[in-house]
Amino acid sequence: MISSEEYSENMEEAQETDISILVSDVNNIAIEESEVNKSISENKPLPSSSEQSNSYENLFDQLKGHNKHIFVLSTAGKPIYTRFGNENQLASLFGLMLALMSVTQDSNDTLQSICCGRTRIVFVNKDPIILVGVSQRSEPYDQIKKQLIYVYNNIISTLTLTQLKKIFLNRTNFDLRRLMSGSERLIDKLITFTENDPGFLLDSISCLQMPSNSRDKITQTILTECSKIKNLVFGLLIAQKHIISIVRMKKYSLQVSDIHLILNLINSTESFKTAESWTPICLPTFDSSGYMHAHISYLAEDCQACLVLLTIDHDLFFTLSEAKRKITEKMRRNDCLQAINDAIIRQPLSLARANILGLRHLLYKIKNRSQHWCPPFTLPYNTDTLQQNLMSVYCSLISQMNFPGRNLKVIYQQLTSETIVAWATDEVELYMCFEPMVSKECATNAVTKLTQWMKKEEDSLFIFNIPMF
Amino acid sequence: MATRKKVLLKVIILGDSSVGKTSLMNQYVNKKFTNQYKATIGADFLTKEVMVDDRIVTMQIWDTAGQERFQSLGVAFYRGADCCVLVFDVTSPGSFKSLDGWRDEFLIQASPSDPDHFPFVVLGNKVDLENRAVSSKRAQQWCQNKNGLPYFETSAKEAINVEQAFKTIARNALAQESDVELYNEFPDQIKLSGGSTENRSSGGDNCAC
Ligand SMILES: Nc1nc2c(ncn2[C@@H]2O[C@H](COP(=O)(O)OP(=O)(O)OP(=O)(O)O)[C@@H](O)[C@H]2O)c(=O)[nH]1
Ligand SMILES: [Mg+2]
Repeated sequence: MISSEEYSENMEEAQETDISILVSDVNNIAIEESEVNKSISENKPLPSSSEQSNSYENLFDQLKGHNKHIFVLSTAGKPIYTRFGNENQLASLFGLMLALMSVTQDSNDTLQSICCGRTRIVFVNKDPIILVGVSQRSEPYDQIKKQLIYVYNNIISTLTLTQLKKIFLNRTNFDLRRLMSGSERLIDKLITFTENDPGFLLDSISCLQMPSNSRDKITQTILTECSKIKNLVFGLLIAQKHIISIVRMKKYSLQVSDIHLILNLINSTESFKTAESWTPICLPTFDSSGYMHAHISYLAEDCQACLVLLTIDHDLFFTLSEAKRKITEKMRRNDCLQAINDAIIRQPLSLARANILGLRHLLYKIKNRSQHWCPPFTLPYNTDTLQQNLMSVYCSLISQMNFPGRNLKVIYQQLTSETIVAWATDEVELYMCFEPMVSKECATNAVTKLTQWMKKEEDSLFIFNIPMF
Repeated sequence: MATRKKVLLKVIILGDSSVGKTSLMNQYVNKKFTNQYKATIGADFLTKEVMVDDRIVTMQIWDTAGQERFQSLGVAFYRGADCCVLVFDVTSPGSFKSLDGWRDEFLIQASPSDPDHFPFVVLGNKVDLENRAVSSKRAQQWCQNKNGLPYFETSAKEAINVEQAFKTIARNALAQESDVELYNEFPDQIKLSGGSTENRSSGGDNCAC
C-alpha cells in the first residue's frame, strides 16, 4: 500500500507533501500471491501472516536482485512490459507509477525523474504509453531516457505510431500485451544492447572490417540489383553486429537508431537463419506512421551474412526474393561470398598493432559517417564485469563531452584504475583509456600517433561509400 | 490471438471517508480486518489474481482516499478503469447521499466512451452494525434509477458478501474490458515524398547513414 498514515498524527504533513508520501512508501506496496487455481467464489483458508509477507518479500527481493529495471505501462496504469518479474504480480507497482505521473500532471507539471540515494527513476510520457527506468548504476539521466526511447521505438516498430494511437483513442483501458506477444523478447535483447554496445552510446554503427575493394565490389553487386526495383528504399548487408554494406534510394537516409532496431531484430531472431522472411517493420525515425516491409534472408548456407531489403510496397516479396537470389549468385561468382567469410573469421584488428605505450582501449567515431570502431577488449578488461565497468566509464565520459550547450574539445581524467581522455575534432571523436599514471603529455602524443595510424587502417574499418540509386 | 490471453482489470474504489473502502479491499485480498482507522492518503494499490469463468484475471485495485484533502489524484488516475466501485456506510446517510457526487466525479474524470453503460457496482457496507440508517430499499431504488446498478450489502468486518461483491465486480469489469474489439487494419502505405518531410530527419541530426 502506498501509505496509510495514522490519521491524527500525520494529516498536516500529508497535506503538504502528497507526492513525497506517495513516494516514501514505495516499498510497502502489498501484493497478493496469485490465486490461480481458486475460483473467485471459493472461500480460501486464511493465509498465515508469514505466508503473506513472504510472497511480498519474494517479489521485491526478486526485483532487488537487479540494478536496472525498465517498465512500460499504458496511460491507464495497466502493465505492458517489465524487464524482470511478472507484470501481473507487479500490477500495484504499475498503478503507483501512474499515480505519480497523474498527481504531477494535475499541477500542470511533468514528472521527469526521482533520485533517492543511488537510485534514479526516470519517467517518459509518450501518451498513450509511459516508460519508466530504474537504475542503480549511477547512469546519467539522458542515458536512461535514451534507453526508454529505444524501448518505445521498438514498440512503435511493431505497431506503428498510427496504430498505437488509434488503439487507445476510444479504448483507454486497452491491455496492450495482447498485441505484444513475441516482442517482449525483442525488448529484453534491445535493453541488453543499450547496456553493452558502444554504438548506443555513440549513436553510431560498427562496420565489418574488410579490404575496401572487396566492400566496394559487394556494394556494387547489391546496388546493381536494387536499382532496378521500384519502391525499394534501403538495402543492408549485416554480419552479426556489424554492417558490411548499405545502399539507399536517392534522397533517403537511414537513421542510426533505426539501424539499431533492425540489427536487434535480426540478431534476436534465430528463424531468419533457416528461411527467408517477409516482415512488416516500422522504422520510427524514418516514418512512424506506417510500415516498411523487410525481406530478410541470409545469403547462403555457407555465408552467414544477412541481407535486408526494405521497401514501402507490401506486394514486393517475390521481386525481392528473386533479387536476393541473383545477388547471391553474382556474389558467389565474383568471390564476394568468400571475401565476406574471410572477413567474418578474420581476427579483428587489435589495438596492440598501433603500438602506443599505456593505451588499453578506445572508441573511435567518425562523426559525419556515424560509424565507430571499438577494438577487441584485451587485458585487463578480460571479464564481462570489467568490460561493463569500462563501458560505464565511457558512458559518463561521452555524456560529459556531449553535454548540451557546452563545447568541449578535450577531457583528461585520472581515475583510480585508469586515465581517460576524450578528444574531439570536427571529424572525429576519440575516447581513450590508458593505464592509471599516464601524463597529459603522454596522452597527447598518443592521440597524434593514433590519428596517424588510423589513417592507414580507416579504409577497412569504415564504410566510405554508401551509394544511392 | 493467444488462447490463454492475459487479462488485467483496473478497478477503482470510491466513496466518503471511513465508509470502509480500504477495509473491504483488505478483507477481499488479505482476509484481514482491523477496527483501527488509518485514513488512506493519496491511494492504495492491491493486486489479486482470480478465476472468472475459467479465465485467469488480474485485478488491479485502486483504493482512493475519501478525505477531500488527500484526493487530487489527477485526471490520469481514473483513465481507462474497467469498473468503478461506489461504497457507502449503511449507518451514515451522508455517505449515501454522496454517491451521486462520486459517480459524477468519476464520469467526468475518467470520461468513459459509453458513460450510460459503464459498470459501477454499489456496496452498502457495515451491515454488521446495529445503528443502520439507510434502508436496503432506498439504496436499491437509487441503483435502479442509475440503469440498474448491481447492489451488495457488505460487512468488511464479518466478511459478509465481500467475495460475492468482488465476483460481480470482476465479471462486469471483464465484460467491459472484452468489449474492446480489435480490428487488424493495416495502416496506410508510407508515401515517399522525395525525402523532404521533416519527420524523416528529426531523430538525430548527425547520425544518419
Ligand atoms: N463495524 C464495521 N466497521 C467497519 C467495517 N468496514 C470498515 N469498518 C471500520 O471503519 C473505519 C474506516 O474504514 P476504512 O476502510 O479505513 O475506511 P476508508 O473508506 O478506506 O476511509 P478513507 O481511507 O479515509 O477514505 C475503520 O475503523 C474500520 O475498522 C464494517 O464492515 N463493519
Ligand atoms: Mg481508505
